[in-house]
Amino acid sequence: MFDMGAKPAPLVEARGLARNFPGRQGLLGRVRDVWAVRDVTLALAPGETVGVVGESGCGKSTLGRMMMGFDRPTEGSVSFDGRDLAALSAAERRKLSRRMQMVFQDPFGSLDPRRSIGAQITDGLRIHRLVPPGEIEAELFRLLDQVGLPRSAASRRPHAFSGGQRQRIAVARALSTRPDFIVADEPVSALDVSIQAQVVNLLMDLRRDLDLAMLFISHDLHVVRHLCTRIVVMYLGRVVEEGPAERVFATPAHPYTRALLTATPSLKPRPTGGAPRILPGELPSPANPPSGCPFRTRCPLAEAACAEAVPAARRIEPGWQAACIKAAPEAVA
Amino acid sequence: MSRSTRKLLLPGGIVLALVTVLLLAPLLPLHDVRAMDIPNRFAGPSAAHWLGQDEFGRDVLARLIWGGRASLFIAVGSALAAATIGTLLGLLGGYFRGVVEVLTVRAAEVLLCLPPLLLALLVVTILGAGTWPLILALTLLYTPNYARVAYAATLQVRGLDYVTAQRAMGAPPLTILGRTILPNVLPPLLVQMSLVVASAMVIESGLSFLGLGVVPPTPSWGLMIRAARGAMEQAPMLLVWPSLALAGTILTFNLLCDRLQTALDPREVTKGGALWMRRPGRRKTAAARRHGAADDNGPLVEICNLAISVGRTPQIDLVRRAGLTVMPGETVALVGESGSGKTLTSLALLGLLPDQLRVSAGEMRYRTRAGAVLDLAQMDEEAFRALRGPEVSMVFQDAAAALNPVHRVGDQLAEALRAGGLTGERAVQARVVELLRHVGIPEPERRRRAYPHELSGGQRQRAMIALAVANSPRLLVADEPTTALDPTIQAQILDLFRKLKTDTPDMGLIFVTHDLAVVSELADRVVVMYAGEVVETGPVAEVFARPKHPYTAALIASVPEGAADQLRAIPGSVPPPHDMPPGCRFAPRCDHALPQCTSRVPETSHPEASRSSRCIRWKEVC
Repeated sequence: MFDMGAKPAPLVEARGLARNFPGRQGLLGRVRDVWAVRDVTLALAPGETVGVVGESGCGKSTLGRMMMGFDRPTEGSVSFDGRDLAALSAAERRKLSRRMQMVFQDPFGSLDPRRSIGAQITDGLRIHRLVPPGEIEAELFRLLDQVGLPRSAASRRPHAFSGGQRQRIAVARALSTRPDFIVADEPVSALDVSIQAQVVNLLMDLRRDLDLAMLFISHDLHVVRHLCTRIVVMYLGRVVEEGPAERVFATPAHPYTRALLTATPSLKPRPTGGAPRILPGELPSPANPPSGCPFRTRCPLAEAACAEAVPAARRIEPGWQAACIKAAPEAVA
Repeated sequence: MSRSTRKLLLPGGIVLALVTVLLLAPLLPLHDVRAMDIPNRFAGPSAAHWLGQDEFGRDVLARLIWGGRASLFIAVGSALAAATIGTLLGLLGGYFRGVVEVLTVRAAEVLLCLPPLLLALLVVTILGAGTWPLILALTLLYTPNYARVAYAATLQVRGLDYVTAQRAMGAPPLTILGRTILPNVLPPLLVQMSLVVASAMVIESGLSFLGLGVVPPTPSWGLMIRAARGAMEQAPMLLVWPSLALAGTILTFNLLCDRLQTALDPREVTKGGALWMRRPGRRKTAAARRHGAADDNGPLVEICNLAISVGRTPQIDLVRRAGLTVMPGETVALVGESGSGKTLTSLALLGLLPDQLRVSAGEMRYRTRAGAVLDLAQMDEEAFRALRGPEVSMVFQDAAAALNPVHRVGDQLAEALRAGGLTGERAVQARVVELLRHVGIPEPERRRRAYPHELSGGQRQRAMIALAVANSPRLLVADEPTTALDPTIQAQILDLFRKLKTDTPDMGLIFVTHDLAVVSELADRVVVMYAGEVVETGPVAEVFARPKHPYTAALIASVPEGAADQLRAIPGSVPPPHDMPPGCRFAPRCDHALPQCTSRVPETSHPEASRSSRCIRWKEVC
């Protein structure tokens, strides 16, 4: 879908990914299709950090889980290093899990409250026999150092740590298997600003030092802008814009990206125009999406043609595209 | 030894003593349980027979102890067997679902279709009376219970992130089950255990009582109760001993399992208190004082030197020396990280502090509509009740939790209006619609009949705001009202707050948030809190442009908005309330800290008339 010429071969590739969660309305209602993700094509090269942004319900977490192979796509496929995840046996998939890891949003839910930090971080080392048993402790200390935690942390249980520390523990656990690909699902959303900066800096260092491919899912545009090289904007299960982070943030081509950027509060004082920048209405129900362009019900630019068909992705520049019939780069006030 | 472990001592000790006595029964100098002594039947307690003799003149104490052996062995044995089998079935069924679930949990549930006593009777009738058939019958009876409890708990736990993380790690399913899921589903199983042991003892007694359990002359508590019932009129005490033993053992087991559950919980257990147990306010009377007319233009709220504490010896200050002022019509943002005390300060203003906490020092002067000045720090619950609604009101972070899920939104609004003194059904309903329209809920006539869960997140927050402003409060406290919302919806709600400010120019607004960007969008003045203290105050634009406290500066630098490649993270984390550093509380994390920072508590300085900073180096560092 985007320019492959200059890029190395992708490590992870999703093709035409879609996930349906059929639901029934009422006791006797008909079963309806609820598409959480539709027609997403995405590729990550080694060392690349791709940010997925969108509001809750846009399908970004489902996309992350499918990229990890936790959820089986209804349509389309995910391949890792050229191998289709759906075609792997359970044992092969477990073996592959050394190379793909996940960091979760809630640092209070992602660690087992009853086991020590050290045991949880070294699980991966033992399962995949990455280091000989005698060196597990040394490796544990190296990981704790890497995420900036004291070695004394190893014997304590999760409740003894603050949110930021827990998130760093979760990162250490994900790093323990020396993965090539990490899905980070809102890893800093539950953290305080000053702690958030610790984790963001940690992720940036790791990306630089370990050549990781990372899918960074977030609703915080500032963090994504800071951390990611490429950005994917999702709305109601579809990718509406995809491109280099700097370009997309400076001059978004899709009206939804523009609305999202202007809605994000900023420290910098802005002209107090107020009213026009606020997007009206709310996200339509995925059980009953609008015809044509999913964004047209809230779009300030919508016209009759928008209701006819789902707009195809239009190429703005190599590697930058937007799914809008009026897509054009435009600076945000 | 922790408190929860200490609490294990009592029930653990009793159970231990009981088990020891029962195990040592053959060694104890007891009478023969079968030795009859007909001439002395129904004899009362004596030196030779401490608890007297039964209808055949047998020693009651000996029979009680030997009977306990039988009863407990059957009850505990069948409970353990049922626990092992049932938990295994439940874990497998809950984790793998599908066919495995049908073969395990659902299969076990078939047993539930049979009436329990009939099932036990059936087994005992087929296999004959005796100890082992009884254990089998009871095990069959209780396995489905365990399977169901374990199944339900497994379903809950298997979807949690830490189980997903184990799967992501490539751990084989059985490892995940044994190492991660089992320990986390154990607490409800322990409760089940105590219930099953107790219930098994009752059923054992019942079956023995019917003559289907333990075969006489072997004693069991059930048999003893059965025999004593026949002789109830001659010797009522014969019924009391086995019944006491039975009830006491069951209660002890319940207590043990309850406390075991607490002890196994890795988190500290906090005790809740019922509302009626709430400590009365510091002083009973609402100390209302009328001030002269001179300060009619004075502040709406003035908090001075406020301290909020927990415990008495030692008293831990969660908030100390907090101060802020809100003028009528002003929006003051209270900013800080979690643990900074910003929410506690705002809750104190409404008298909504959790039960364990109290205002231990300081004043919160509030000027009412009538011009009276009240010290909120001195008021009791009753006085606050009159104040909440028409004077002060609150918007909570989680509207889904703050709205009552079983009442329609319109009814909740109407209730608030009636509490505020509005009468006449027509007027109330008209005002409900007006309020909903005012906060931007589309089709208010229809939506007022909606339940909270039928509204989207943004609309719920709008309804929550409508509820808060229903009685036109003079001071609105909003605690992180947009934190849980998406950017575009957050922008809508912030806009709603702006509209409220324009429509009610005299209302003071305290906006509690951790998001500095939201502060700059909405507030006039900002109060920055850290570790329970106010560190800096001032007009928003000035504070953000030229912070005068290193913490504020660091906080601004940690927002990923600038062009800097590396964010400025504040090292370490907020110290816990029971372990506050001496002197300046920010000093251990501060880049500019000097030795004198930790030696004494910094005074408040005023860089400008409208600003304050609690840093001794504000001139140099910022």
